Amino acid sequence: MYFCVNRKGKYLKFIMYSYNPTYALLIFIVVSMVLFLLFRPNRGLFWKIRSVYRVDDKIVIEDILKQLYHSEDKQIGINFLVNALGYRDSIIISGIDKMIDGNLVYFEGEYLKLTEEGHDYALKIVRVHRLWERYLAEKTGFDKSEWHGIAEQKEHETDDEEAGKLASSLGNPIFDPHGDPIPTISGKIAELDSIPLSGLKVGDIGKIINIDDNPEIIYKQILAENIHIGSQIKVLENNSTRVTFYSEGEEYRLAPIVAANIKVSIVNTPEEILEDNVIRLTGLKPDEKAIIEGISKESRGDSRRRLLDLGFVKGAEISIDLVNPFGEPTAYFVKGTTIALRDDQARKILIKKD
Amino acid sequence: MDKKNIHNIIALANELRWKIGDDFHDNLAEGIYADAAEIVEDAIIDKNRDRKERLDNKIDRIVTSRVWGFPIMFSILALVLWITIKGANYPSAFLADILLGDVRPMLKSFAASLNFPWWLSGFLIDGVYLAVAWVIAVMLPPMAIFFPLFTLLEDFGYLPRVAFNLDYLFKKSGAHGKQALTMSMGFGCNAAGVVATRIIDSPRERLIAIITNNFSLCNGRWPTQILLATIFIGAVVPASLSSIVSLGAVFGIAVLGIFFMFFVSWALSKTLLKGEVSTFNLELPPYRPPDFWRTIYTSIIDRTLIVLWRAIVFAAPAGAVIWLISNLYIGEQSIAAWMIHYLDGFGFLIGLNGVILLAYIVAIPANEIVIPTILMLTVLVTGLNVGEGAGVMFELDSVNDTASVLKAGGWTLLTAINVMLFSLLHNPCSTTIYTIYKETKSMKWTVLASILPVIIGFVVTFVVAQLWRIFVN
Repeated sequence: MYFCVNRKGKYLKFIMYSYNPTYALLIFIVVSMVLFLLFRPNRGLFWKIRSVYRVDDKIVIEDILKQLYHSEDKQIGINFLVNALGYRDSIIISGIDKMIDGNLVYFEGEYLKLTEEGHDYALKIVRVHRLWERYLAEKTGFDKSEWHGIAEQKEHETDDEEAGKLASSLGNPIFDPHGDPIPTISGKIAELDSIPLSGLKVGDIGKIINIDDNPEIIYKQILAENIHIGSQIKVLENNSTRVTFYSEGEEYRLAPIVAANIKVSIVNTPEEILEDNVIRLTGLKPDEKAIIEGISKESRGDSRRRLLDLGFVKGAEISIDLVNPFGEPTAYFVKGTTIALRDDQARKILIKKD
Repeated sequence: MDKKNIHNIIALANELRWKIGDDFHDNLAEGIYADAAEIVEDAIIDKNRDRKERLDNKIDRIVTSRVWGFPIMFSILALVLWITIKGANYPSAFLADILLGDVRPMLKSFAASLNFPWWLSGFLIDGVYLAVAWVIAVMLPPMAIFFPLFTLLEDFGYLPRVAFNLDYLFKKSGAHGKQALTMSMGFGCNAAGVVATRIIDSPRERLIAIITNNFSLCNGRWPTQILLATIFIGAVVPASLSSIVSLGAVFGIAVLGIFFMFFVSWALSKTLLKGEVSTFNLELPPYRPPDFWRTIYTSIIDRTLIVLWRAIVFAAPAGAVIWLISNLYIGEQSIAAWMIHYLDGFGFLIGLNGVILLAYIVAIPANEIVIPTILMLTVLVTGLNVGEGAGVMFELDSVNDTASVLKAGGWTLLTAINVMLFSLLHNPCSTTIYTIYKETKSMKWTVLASILPVIIGFVVTFVVAQLWRIFVN
C-alpha cells in the first residue's frame, strides 16, 4: 500500500512489515516526553541528578560557612543547617567534622560558631558570590531572578586569583546589584547605614539602597512591582497591614513583610530631596515636555552606556514623538533625533515635568 | 617609600572609595555626557527642533498608525516579493538559454574535439559546469531584483518604521523589532538576511535573528513550493479553484515559517541564549530620498555578487559530487542508487523517500538545484526515458511532464506536502551556513543554526506522515 523505491531491500521490507503509523507515533510521543522530563530547562531530571553528583565536601563546607556567617547573631544547630541547606544529615555531619578538624568552626554547647579562620573563609565566599552577581548584572543578559542561583554555583568554582581578576575587570566594585557591600580582599566590608522600609514613619523620605534577594518568593514580588534600587521614596502610610509609599510618580502598596526586605537610607539634606514632579519616563504623556533628570541605577552595563550615547543625559529635553499601534515601544524625541525605547527601559529614566 | 607607607595609602584609598560610594563612576560619566551636551547646545543650531511640523512626522503618523501601518507594510512586502518572483523569470530563462542551451553544447563539442574521455567531460561539464551555470541562472536574477528594491526601502528610511511597528511581537518572543527586517530580507536570500542582522546591535537578539533566519522561505525555495503546490495540491480541488488553493498553500508554508521563527526565537531566548547581553534601542532616522544609482551599485556589488560568489564556490564541488555519485558504481549499482536505497527506509518513515533525502544532501549549495536533482535521481532509479542521463540535472518545461516523472517516482499528495514542509524546515544552504560562521565567528552557533531546522523538519514531517496514514490513508 505504501510505495517505496526499492530494488532489493531486506531492511526496507522489515520496516514495511512491522510498520504501523499509530505505534510509530506513540513511540515518538513517549520518547519526546522522556527527553522533555530529562532535559527541560532547570527542572529537568538530568540537571537535578547532575547537581546531586556535583556536591562534594568543598561545596557543603562553604555552604555551611555562608549560612553561619549570615546568621551570626542566631543560635545555629545541626538541625537548622539540614533544613536551611537541604543536604542529607550524614553529608552535613561529615562536613562539620572536617570543618572542626580544619579549625573553621567550634561547638558552643549544641550550637556552631565560626572561628576567626572560618569567618575569613566565609567572607571570601561572600565576596566571590557578590562579585559574580555584579558580573552577571553588568556583563551578561541573565534575568535578575537568576543572578543568585548562578552565583551560588560559581562561588564554589572560583579561586582567589580568578576572583581578583573578576574584581578588577569590574573596576573593584563595592556593592553588588542588590545593594549589598562586597567585602574587599583584605576582608573589610562596608557598613550599611540602612533601615527596613517597614520601619519608616509616615512622611519620611528615603532612598532605596538594598533589596534582599532572599527569600526568593518575596524578591520576585518586589521585582514584579518594578521597584528600583536608588529610587527615592516617601512613606504615605505605615501600619500592620500595609506600607504605602510614593516613588517616581507612582504609589506602591506592600505588605509589611515584603517592605521589610527593602532597605532604605533616610535622606535628610534638603538639596538631595527630589521634587514630586520627578517621575519615570513611562509617566510622560503625548504633547507633554520634560527634562531628563537621570538614569536609574537599575540600568546597567551596555544598556546604560547605549542610552547615554543616544543622548538620554541629564538636562536634555524630551517629548513623545510617536505612539506605537501595540502600545510599545514608544518613540521619544530627544536631542533632535527620534529614538524608540521599550517600557522597561523608559521606566529606568527619570524626568522632571514642566 | 617603604612598604608600610604603600600599605597605608592603599588602605586610605579603599576607605575613600567607600565614602565616595558606588555612584561615583556613573555620576562622573554622566557629568561628562551632560557637559558635552551643553557645549553642543551652544555650538550647533538645530534645525530639527520643530519636527512636529515637518513632513517626516506626517509620514510617520501614517505609516505607524493603527489603521494604516499594517496594510502598508504587508502590501509593500508582498509587492517586493511579487516583483522579484515574477520579474526574475525572464532574465532567468534568458540566462539558462545561454549558459545551459548554448554554452554547454559548445563546451561539449570543444571537449570532444580535444578527445576528452567521456568521464572527464562528464565530470567537468555535466557535473561542475552545469551546477555552477544553474546556480547563476536561477540565483542571480532574483537577487539582482530583490536586493536593490530592499536597499531602496532601507535608504528611504521606511524599514526602521516597520521594526518600530512590529517590535512588540518580537519582544514577546525575546527578539528585536529589527528582526522583522532581517526576516524579510531572508525571504529574498537567507545568506543576505544573516548579513543584514548587523543592524541589530544587541548580541543576544542578533544571534536569535541569525539562527532563525532560515525559517524565512527564501527565493531558492519559492519556486519549489509553487511547483509542488500546483502539481499536487491544486489537483485535489476543482480546476476553477486550483490556482487560488495552491497559492494559498504556498502562502501557508511561508506563514508557518514565520510561526517557527517566533517559536524558536522564544525558545532560544529562554534557554541557550538567556545569558547573552541584551539591549534595545531603535533609531528612527529622518526620511530622505534614496540615492538611486549608488543604491543599485552597492546592492549589486555588496550583496548580490558576494552571495552569488559564495554560492558558486560551493556549487562547483557539489556538481562534481552529484555527477560522481550517479556515475561511480559499487557492484552493479551506482553510489547514488545505494544511498537512495539506504535512505528509503528513513525517508518512508517521515513521508518522503530516499531520492528526496539524497537530493537535499547533495544539493546543499543551493535550494534552487533541489528539484533538478530530484528529477535526475528519480529518472536514475526508475529508469524512465527522460532527462539527459546519469548525473545530469534537468528541469522540464512542462509542469505536466514534471508531474508524471514525480508520480512515477512514487510521489503522493503526502510526499508533496512533506517536501513542501521539509523545504521550509531543513538545514540552511551551504552559502548561508558559511555566512553564519563568518558573522558569528562561532562553531557552536553555526552548528546549532544548521542542525536545529533539520531536526524540526524531521519531527514535523514525521508527525504529519503518521497522522496522514492514520486518518487519511
